[in-house]
Amino acid sequence: MLRAPAEIKYADELDYLESIDTGFKPFSWRLSPRMVRIFVLGSERSDGLDREIPQKWFGDRGFVERSIVTLASDRGLLLIGDPGTGKSWLAELLAAAVSRNSTLVVQGTAGTTEDHIKYSWNVSMVIAKGQSRESMIPSPIMTAMEQGVIGRFEELTRSTSDVQDALISILSEKYVSIPELDDDNIVFAQPGFSVIATANSRDRGVNDLSSALKRRFNFVRIPVVTNKKSEAEIVRFRTAELLRRHQIDLELPPTLLDILLQSFADLRAAAASATSDDDKLESALSTAEQIGVLEDAILHSRFFGDSTLKAATLAGSMVGSLARRSPEDLAILNKYLHGVVEPRSRQDDSGSWREFLDGGRDAIATLS
Amino acid sequence: MSDAVMSDAVMSDAVMSDAVMSPFAPLREQLASAAAAFGDGLVDDVEQALRTDVEIFPVCHHSPASALAMVRRLREKQPKVVYLELCEDLRPVLEELRNCRLPVALQAFASDIDGFPPEWAPLSVIAPITESSAEYQAIAYALDTPGVEIVLVDRSVDHVFQWEPRAGAADVGIEIGDLRPGFAALEEHLLHHGKVRHWSEWWDQYVEQPLSGADYDTYRQVMVLIGSLFRRLGPEGHQVDEDRERYMWTRMREHLAATGTDPAECLYVCGAFHAASPVMDEHLDISPRTSTAWLYGLIPSSHSAIEEQFGLAPGSVSIAAATWSKSLRRGRLTPYTLGGRSKRAASPPGTPAETDTEPETEDRLSGFLTRPPVLDGFDEAELLGWCVEIVRLARRNGYLASTADAIAVYETSILLAGMRGRKRPTPYDFQDAAVTCIEKDVVPGRRDVRRLCEILLGGDKIGQVGYDSLPPLARDVLDRLQPLGLDLEKRTIQRALIDLDAHPELEPCSHLLWILRRLLPDDAVRPIMGSRRLGERSHQESWDLAIGRNQRSIIELGYEGVTIEQVLEQRLRRTCWDEKATAATALDAVEDSILYLRNRRFTDELGARAVELLAGERTVDDAPEVLGRIRRLLAHYRAVEPELPAWAKSFVTTGYAHYCTLLPTAFAEEETGVRQVGAMLGFLFTMESLALSLGCDRTQLELAVQQSRPEAPAKVALLWTAHFQLGLLSMAGLRERMIELLGNPLVVPSVPQYVSGFVQALESAPTLTPFVVEVLSRAFGRLPDDVLLPWLPKLITTLRAQAPELVPMLVREAGRTFPARLADVDSFTPPWLERVPAKVITPPASQPVGELLAVHPGTVAAVAGLLGCEPVTIAGAGGEVAGLLAAHPETGEAVAGVLAVV
Repeated sequence: MLRAPAEIKYADELDYLESIDTGFKPFSWRLSPRMVRIFVLGSERSDGLDREIPQKWFGDRGFVERSIVTLASDRGLLLIGDPGTGKSWLAELLAAAVSRNSTLVVQGTAGTTEDHIKYSWNVSMVIAKGQSRESMIPSPIMTAMEQGVIGRFEELTRSTSDVQDALISILSEKYVSIPELDDDNIVFAQPGFSVIATANSRDRGVNDLSSALKRRFNFVRIPVVTNKKSEAEIVRFRTAELLRRHQIDLELPPTLLDILLQSFADLRAAAASATSDDDKLESALSTAEQIGVLEDAILHSRFFGDSTLKAATLAGSMVGSLARRSPEDLAILNKYLHGVVEPRSRQDDSGSWREFLDGGRDAIATLS
Repeated sequence: MSDAVMSDAVMSDAVMSDAVMSPFAPLREQLASAAAAFGDGLVDDVEQALRTDVEIFPVCHHSPASALAMVRRLREKQPKVVYLELCEDLRPVLEELRNCRLPVALQAFASDIDGFPPEWAPLSVIAPITESSAEYQAIAYALDTPGVEIVLVDRSVDHVFQWEPRAGAADVGIEIGDLRPGFAALEEHLLHHGKVRHWSEWWDQYVEQPLSGADYDTYRQVMVLIGSLFRRLGPEGHQVDEDRERYMWTRMREHLAATGTDPAECLYVCGAFHAASPVMDEHLDISPRTSTAWLYGLIPSSHSAIEEQFGLAPGSVSIAAATWSKSLRRGRLTPYTLGGRSKRAASPPGTPAETDTEPETEDRLSGFLTRPPVLDGFDEAELLGWCVEIVRLARRNGYLASTADAIAVYETSILLAGMRGRKRPTPYDFQDAAVTCIEKDVVPGRRDVRRLCEILLGGDKIGQVGYDSLPPLARDVLDRLQPLGLDLEKRTIQRALIDLDAHPELEPCSHLLWILRRLLPDDAVRPIMGSRRLGERSHQESWDLAIGRNQRSIIELGYEGVTIEQVLEQRLRRTCWDEKATAATALDAVEDSILYLRNRRFTDELGARAVELLAGERTVDDAPEVLGRIRRLLAHYRAVEPELPAWAKSFVTTGYAHYCTLLPTAFAEEETGVRQVGAMLGFLFTMESLALSLGCDRTQLELAVQQSRPEAPAKVALLWTAHFQLGLLSMAGLRERMIELLGNPLVVPSVPQYVSGFVQALESAPTLTPFVVEVLSRAFGRLPDDVLLPWLPKLITTLRAQAPELVPMLVREAGRTFPARLADVDSFTPPWLERVPAKVITPPASQPVGELLAVHPGTVAAVAGLLGCEPVTIAGAGGEVAGLLAAHPETGEAVAGVLAVV
């Protein structure tokens, strides 16, 4: 499997936690809230477990606690934040921990229709046998209702308001009626059903949520990670995972990680002080973006290089992934390289910044 | 806490099992013994603190548990003397606490410093006091119980700066019982494992709550243990702390020896950190204070200010206050309060409830440390109340919150507390729950849910210093503003309407308000209508007063003097005699003095200082300000006084001589700007007649102008106008030079600079306005675009910044010169291009002079040339007109008749 969902990937951890869990489990939850917390945030010595559970989501612990508690109440959970802040990952982990199924996902797009969150019909079967429960295709949300598990709705604000409105009745009445059928025409949600939605705060204003829908969700806002230590953790964690997936055996030198984190921190500071959109990189400079840059650099050096990650390759990947608009983004990166990296490379003895600078210059020269 | 104990146990087990063979045995032994010594040290500290002759009462700041234990202990023990860890020289201020609404802060303030580096001034030390603090309970008990003495034993505020020099200008905050690990990593560890976000929350959950119901022995032992732990784990450098402890114990022993009090009747209230002190028996030779004069007073404080100053979590002080009042209710305790509201102790004073022999110390620590914290029972009614209230508050602040949200918040709080291992949701859990359920993607109003929760849980309480405890100046201000009939102690903004025509008796109030406006921060006293400038008087004024909110600023003014006028006088004096003072600042002070103080002698003194400063100045950077200000002042004196004051005369003569002397250098020097030179010339020409009447010599100016050899184009233009003013250059000559400039392709790029020079010249020669309009018009017409376009914006910004008062003049002149309607543009010829036809002046027919002039036109032409006019031709007496008039004399007679009648 190219990318196993969390419940398969961490199946043994979940089994272990379930086996030792003595706490109260709300509804049909597989783990108690405390164990869900341990699964997501990792175990401490004071938790008294005999095996270590690694941390899987990095960020303020309060957010995770609030999210878990929301799922145990009768409201849906809406994770809102900038792109690349780990909303979907947190949603997946929570769904996996609570119901061992994180795959009941509806992706919100401009083309999402009401059928995608309720049900649709298998047309040939309807023609052959007429409308019945067999010829009905339930949506992931409806499946989650029937099974009493967590359903996920990605990018809620990308879908149009009529689709959003269909969620209101699901979240408040907790049933879906199927008027086409004469009997057995209501699907009731089983205990344990809840919805985790994610929304991109950059999309505000595209399809604003109605206040009726807002009321049925608890909002947990996830900020961009700016703490350098936890960001380093996240990048290291996700990259290790990616390397494993690509079966690449490559050492990630700590200096290069520092260079990457530092340059993103610099660019973020520059974006924060920019006065117009033209002075700002189009990218949100999220942690996910950093991981993307690093992955690109690793793959590049694996397949086209000598299997060691170099600062120049990293710079090339960074320029390649951040320069989306020509000439604005290129100009900003050029300014950054000459204004910030160059003075730094003169002070730095190890030569990594120097190499980074040269790599970046080459990349910009190629692109412009 | 239990972690530490557990790991000790694990370690000692390991030592027992395989200490024999391992090559690491010596190291292991060493570490084990270090650990054992550490543990023993903690227990020793506790034992030592409990054994002292003076009973030590360890406290922690903003800890309701401390305050509760204090109330109980005071009731039980009824000590005769209370020693308190607080700067000893703050003692007199304590009495003033009676008149205040807490929280207030004791303040020591010094602006005249002696013995510290002068750049530290002003020094300020602030010790905030809240009602829910143990120290306030001790103070209230001691001050209100007859026969009880309170002795402050900590170093004086002077020693605070002697021992811990800091250069920052901010207030230095001091608090009794600052208890927080000095070791960032330890704090982080505790927070991480305690699953809490902030130190205040950790403290509340792991120390505060378990201790709130504990008996006195447990309380005391636990506090000393924590103090000892933080002391031992903290970074090195307890020198200052140990010195302070020596200081306190020295003072206590001195007091005991001097009064002969029985140590058993004393109570020593100090931070838990100092309870575990190894230096209790040592003596300190107390160094003398510096000769800095300290002033003491009370200023209002607030919960948020305390949180900010001491780095506590927002809302934590309010939560502590709420917990305190709740525990009081539950424990049916009466706290000690100062002032008329004081309720006397339940048991009669002087008879301790029990004998305090305490022969043996019982170990309460083991029990406390091994049991999980005993938390309060779940208080359903309280949580429900909070939930309903937060929804109400949220609705009022624009959130779409409903009863459903109240239910959700309630449920979420309980779930959150459960997940964090607490039976009862703490205020912090409740806050998180409310944020989860009510906060959506945007905050509709000014406050977000987190802030609303803080308001709900007690809100920011702001103290107030009562009238009787205010310094004389502040009382004086309030008294003098009494006629306005406003309650100035209120914290809201009050609108004062003053009709000075109808109520002339309010004049002094208005005057005081203007002085306050000058001295206080911007938002304290704001005029909405009315202004005060030289030569102006308002008929009506309206003011927004926020005096109650700015109590602190007024109190701090009180440290500078006894009346507000005195403070202003001192400040003006200080500005004028400052090292950086210039003539311009001194003139400003003179103006302020005239406006606000109306003290002729003082004004004259400042004026004399301005003359002195002007004579001593070697640069002319301030010339524009000097010119503007002295013009205003002269106009004022001419209007209100029969004669100019001596200093003003002296200023004009000194200025005339001074600027004449500096003129050639100013013209030549590159650093001196055109504006400055323009202002100098303005001073010299506009004040010339006054200066000459006071005995100056015009030759000085003429020489100075002739010596000037400017190179910069703008200054050259200025010099030309100076020549024109002095009559060395005619208008025609000036115009000719200008035309020459525009015609010379090599000079064209610098023409704009010449024009700027001419504009600046308006300062000294308003009569040149038509010429400047002409110059501008010609420049706009003739300059090529690549010169003109970059210059235009610069011209506008320069005019706006440097010559705002000249612009209306120019605009008016331009309006006169140019056609007002579009139709007239085609036929428009600028006045300077009009070929003035040689004017024919007809002299009266029978005058010999006219005839003479007509016969010898050379004389007239020469005079006209001198005056810069076109020569005129004088028609002779025998012209056609004369013939016609002679032929028809009746016309002339009729006109003569009409003229005679009119």
